[in-house]
Amino acid sequence: MERGKKIGSTGVGGGALVSGSGKRAFGTVLAALILCLIGIMAFSIRLFSVIKYESVIHEFDPYFNYRVTKYLTKAGIYEFWNWFDDRTWYPLGRVIGGTVYPGLTITAGTMWWILNAFNIPLSVETVCVFTAPIFSSFAAWATYLLTSEVKGRGAGLTAAALLAMVPSYISRSVAGSYDNEAVAIFALIFTFYLYVKTLNTGSLFYATLNALAYFYMVCSWGGYTFIINLIPMHVLLCIVTGRYSSRLYIAYAPLVILGTLLAALVPVVGFNAVMTSEHFASFLVFVIIHVAALAHYIKRVLSPKQYSTAVSFVITFGMYEPAALIAILAAMVAASPTKGWSGRSLSLLDPTYASKYIPIIASVSEHQPPTWPSYFMDINVLAFLVPAGIIACFLPLSDSSSFVVLYLVTSVYFSGVMVRLMLVLAPAACVLSGIALSEAFAVLTRSIKYQDLSEASLLAAVDSTATLNSTNENEASVKEVKDKAPKRGKKKTVEKEVEKKRKRLLGLPMEASAVGILLLIIMGSFYVVHCVWAAAEAYSAPSIVLTSQTPDGGLHVFDDFREAYAWLNHNTGEDDKVASWWDYGYQTTAMANRTVIVDNNTWNNTHIATVGTAMSSPERQAWEIFQSLDVKYVFVIFGGLVGYPSDDINKFLWMVRIGGGVFPHIREPDYLRDGHYRIDSQATPTMLNCLMYKLSYYRFAEADGKGYDRVRRTEIGKKYFKLNYFEEVFTTQHWMVRIYKLKPPRNLVSAVKSKKRFL
Amino acid sequence: MGRGCAIALALVLFFLAIAIGEDDRVSDLLRRQAGSKDGIIELDDTGIRHLAASANRPYALLVFFDAHHLRERSGLKLDELRGEFSLLARSYIKNNAGGSGESKIFFCALEFQRAQASFAMFGVNALPHARFLAPGSGPLNASESMMELNDMVRSAEGMAAYVESKIRHKVGAIDRPPLVSRNQLLLVAAAAIVAAPYVLKKLLIEGKDTPFHNSKLWCVGALLVYFFSVAGGMHNIIRKMPLFMPDRNDPSKIVAFYQGSGMQLGAEGFAVGFLYTVVGLVVAFITHVLVRIKNKTTHRAILLVGMGVCFLAVRWVVALDHWKTGYEIHGYLPRGWL
Repeated sequence: MERGKKIGSTGVGGGALVSGSGKRAFGTVLAALILCLIGIMAFSIRLFSVIKYESVIHEFDPYFNYRVTKYLTKAGIYEFWNWFDDRTWYPLGRVIGGTVYPGLTITAGTMWWILNAFNIPLSVETVCVFTAPIFSSFAAWATYLLTSEVKGRGAGLTAAALLAMVPSYISRSVAGSYDNEAVAIFALIFTFYLYVKTLNTGSLFYATLNALAYFYMVCSWGGYTFIINLIPMHVLLCIVTGRYSSRLYIAYAPLVILGTLLAALVPVVGFNAVMTSEHFASFLVFVIIHVAALAHYIKRVLSPKQYSTAVSFVITFGMYEPAALIAILAAMVAASPTKGWSGRSLSLLDPTYASKYIPIIASVSEHQPPTWPSYFMDINVLAFLVPAGIIACFLPLSDSSSFVVLYLVTSVYFSGVMVRLMLVLAPAACVLSGIALSEAFAVLTRSIKYQDLSEASLLAAVDSTATLNSTNENEASVKEVKDKAPKRGKKKTVEKEVEKKRKRLLGLPMEASAVGILLLIIMGSFYVVHCVWAAAEAYSAPSIVLTSQTPDGGLHVFDDFREAYAWLNHNTGEDDKVASWWDYGYQTTAMANRTVIVDNNTWNNTHIATVGTAMSSPERQAWEIFQSLDVKYVFVIFGGLVGYPSDDINKFLWMVRIGGGVFPHIREPDYLRDGHYRIDSQATPTMLNCLMYKLSYYRFAEADGKGYDRVRRTEIGKKYFKLNYFEEVFTTQHWMVRIYKLKPPRNLVSAVKSKKRFL
Repeated sequence: MGRGCAIALALVLFFLAIAIGEDDRVSDLLRRQAGSKDGIIELDDTGIRHLAASANRPYALLVFFDAHHLRERSGLKLDELRGEFSLLARSYIKNNAGGSGESKIFFCALEFQRAQASFAMFGVNALPHARFLAPGSGPLNASESMMELNDMVRSAEGMAAYVESKIRHKVGAIDRPPLVSRNQLLLVAAAAIVAAPYVLKKLLIEGKDTPFHNSKLWCVGALLVYFFSVAGGMHNIIRKMPLFMPDRNDPSKIVAFYQGSGMQLGAEGFAVGFLYTVVGLVVAFITHVLVRIKNKTTHRAILLVGMGVCFLAVRWVVALDHWKTGYEIHGYLPRGWL
C-alpha cells in the first residue's frame, strides 16, 4: 500500500529513474502548476451566473450581507460593531453588530480595502459577487493540504481537483451567492488541515494556528459547532482505541482553551461558547484527555506489574468521583427544557424530532431528509468512490486517516437527516474519493509501467524508491514508523523494507490495467460533464432576474424585482415605510433603501404575525393595521400573469397560519373551501375579500380580459372590484410586483366643524 | 303578588334543578374520568346521548372514534393516535386539576362495537375520526365540528393547539413520558458503572485485543453508516416510507421505484445504496487485495468481472437517476464537433 502511494506521487513527479532531488523539485513545480490550474478552474466554473445573467448579488440573505458590507466599508469597523439598524423591523430596529456572524463581511470588506489601497477601484458589489469563487479556490488548496497530510501529494491533488467542481459546494458558492457558507467551507477545511498537521507534527505552532483558524470559522458560520464536536469525538476515539500520544494532546488541549476563549469574543456566540450543550462534549473530552495523559505518565514511571496494581486500585476505589461527576452533568443537562440543545441540533441527534415538534424547521425545504438522487446530483460519482477511500484509510490506519474517516461518517449521517448538510459532506467525500482515485491510478499505472522489468531491474527500482522514501514528504507515516518500530539495525530494516516493497510491486496484467484506467478516466469525464452542467443549469440562477426561453429560441428577461425596487428608491420619500411579506425585506432595504416592517431575519414572530394578519384581513382592518405601523406603501409579488409560481398568493396560507398563531380571529379554515385552497368562484368570501387577494388581482381582469391566473390555472373568483383604502401607484412590466399606497386618513374637517357648532 | 312570587320561586327551583342536573353530570364525568386509566372516558350509545344531548351543557366534549377490529390495520395508525389522544387528555387533566378549566372539556372515546348508533348519528364512516362538541350546542348530528386528523394534528401537541383554539383555554405543556423510563435509565447507569472497571482495565492495561482495537470492525461500521445514509435510510425513517407500494392501477403488482425526486421507497433506496457502495468495494478490492495475488489468470478474470460490475452499476444508477428526476445532463461540446 505504502508503495503504491509513493509511486503514485512520483508518478505525478515524473520517471522513477531520474535522480532523487531533481525529481522532487520537478514534482513540486508540477504540483504547484496543477494547483494553480485547479484554483483557476474552481474560480471560473462559478462564473456561469455572471456570464448567463449578470454580475448581481443573488437571492435574499446575500442582499443583507451586501448591505452590511457596504456599511462596513463606509463607516468602518467600530461603527459596524455598534450598528443599530433603524431601517428594518420598524419600529423596533435591529442590533446588527451583535447578531451577525461577521466573518464574511469583514473578509469582503478587507478585500475591498486592500484593492482600494492598491488603487484598484472596484465597487463593493463586485467584491461581494466574487468573494465566493475566490474562496472556492482557497478551499480547493486547503483540501490539497489536508489530503496530502493524510495520504500524500497525489491524493491531495486529486482531492483538490474534485473539490474544485463538486456540485454541492458550487450550489452555495457561485458568483453572486454572497452568503456565510462561501467562506465557511474554506475555514472548515483549513481548520481540519491544521488539526491534522498538528496531529502529525506535534508542533505547538500549528496548534496555535489551528485555534486561529477555528476562530475564523466561528466568525463565519454557525456550523462551527460541527468542528467543536467532531474534533473531540476524534480525540476520544483515539484514546479509546489506544492511540493516545503527546501529539494528540498538543493538537487538542490548546484548541479547546484558545478556541473557546476566541469564540467567546464573537458577539453572536458570546457565553454560548461555555454554556450550551453543543460545546459540552469538548470540555468533557478535555477532562478525559488529561486523565489519559496522567495514566500514560504513570504507566511510564511504574513497572508493568505495579501499574496494573495501581490501575486495579484506582478503578476499584476511584470510580465514585467520575460517576458523581457524570451524574451532576446529566442532571444539569436534563434540567433545561430542551436538554440544553437547540432545536436544530436535536433534530440531528434524533432525526424524527423536528417533524414531531418543530413544524417551522420541518417545513423548510433545505431541512428535508434527502433521497438517493440528491446524492447523485450533489456529489455524483464520488458516491461510488468513497467506500474505496474509506478502506484505503484503514490500510494502514493512522491518526490522520482515522480523522478523515470519522469526518466522513458523521457528515454523511448528518446529510442523511438534512439535505443542506450535504455541503459539509462534500469536502469529506472529495478527500476520500481523491484518496481512492489516486490509489487506483497508482496501482494501475504501476502495473503498466513495471510490466516488462526483470527481477533485477525491479529490485533496483525498488532500491531507488526506498532511498527516496526515507526523505519523502509524508511525515505522517514516517512519524508513525518511528513511534512504533523499536530501534533495530538500520541495515536489517532496509532489507526488510525492500523485501516488502518487492512483494508489493507485483502488478496486474497490462491490458486489463489499461482498460481499468480507461474506465476511471470515463468516470472522471462524466463527473466533469455533470459538474459543469450542474453549475451552468441548476445552480446559477440569481432568482432576482428571471429568464425564459421564447418560442423562437431567444431569451426573455424578467427584471421586475429590480424595476420595482428602483421605483421605490426614486419615487418615495427617504423615510417612508414599506410593508411586504418578510421574504422581500432584505432586498427592499438593500436595493430600495427604504425602511421595512419585517425581513428575512425572522427574530420577532409577533411582528411577522401582524403583517400576516394585515394581509389576511379585509381592506379596512388591514389599512388600520398598516396605518398603526406608519406604513406608506405596500407591495405584493404576483405571478398570475406570467406564471411565476413562488408568488405571494402561493405563500398566503403561511401568512394566515402565522397570523392566526398570534391573533386567533384569523382562522385558516375560513380561507379554505372544504379543505382546499382556491381563488376561483368557489373561494370563500373571506378569501375573496382579504387584502392579499385584492392587491394581487386588482384590475387583473382588465389586463387579459378573462382574469385567468396562469399559476393556479383557473379564472379568478372576483374580477371587478374597487379599492377604498389603497391606491395602485406602480405595477411592473410583467405585473410581478404591484405597489400600492395607503390612502391618507379621511378628512376630519366636517366632523370638527360640527363639533364646534355644539360648543 | 303572591302569584308572582310563586312563579319566581318555581322558576328559581326549575333552574336550580337543571343546574343540579348539570352538576350531577359534571361530577359523574369527573368521577369516570378519575376512574379511567388513560384520562379518556369510554362511552357507549346511551352514555353519549345522556351526556351530550342536553341543549345547555356547560362542558365541551372531544370524542375520539375508535374500533378494536381496525386496530391491526397499520395504515390507520389508530393505536398511535389513541395514545396521543390519551396523552393530551392526561396532560389537560393534570395541568388543569382544581382550576377553572377542570370541567371545561372532557375527552371521550366511542368504540364501534358498543356505539354503532352513535357512529351512524355522527355520520362517521371512515377512521381515524374525532369530533368536537361545543358546550351548549343542541341535538347531536353529523354537522358537529370535526377535528381533521391530518399530519399537523396527529401529535398530542397539534391536538392541543386545536383544543385551545376551540375552548379558549390553555391545555398546558404536554407531559410526554420519556422514551426510557426512570427505572430503565437507572438500570442502564448501574450496568455501566459495574461494567466500567472491566472495560477501563481492558483498555488501560491490556490495551490491545478489545473490539475497540479491531480496525476491521470500525471499517465495516463506517461502510455500513455510509451505505445507510446514501441509501436515504434517514428519509425512510423520518417519512416512515414503506419498502414497497401496491400499484395504483393494478393492486396485485407492487411498485418498488417511485418516479419523482422528492420521495423514495425503502427498497429503492437500499438498492441504489447498494450500487453506490459496491463499486467502491470492488475498486478497493482491486487496489488492495488483488495485487497481492500472484496468479495472472485470476487477475484477468477478477478484473474483468470487477470492472464489468462497476461499469454496469454506474450505468444503472445514471439511468435510474435520469428516469427518476427527469434531468437531461449534457456536455457543452463545440458546435463543430456535433
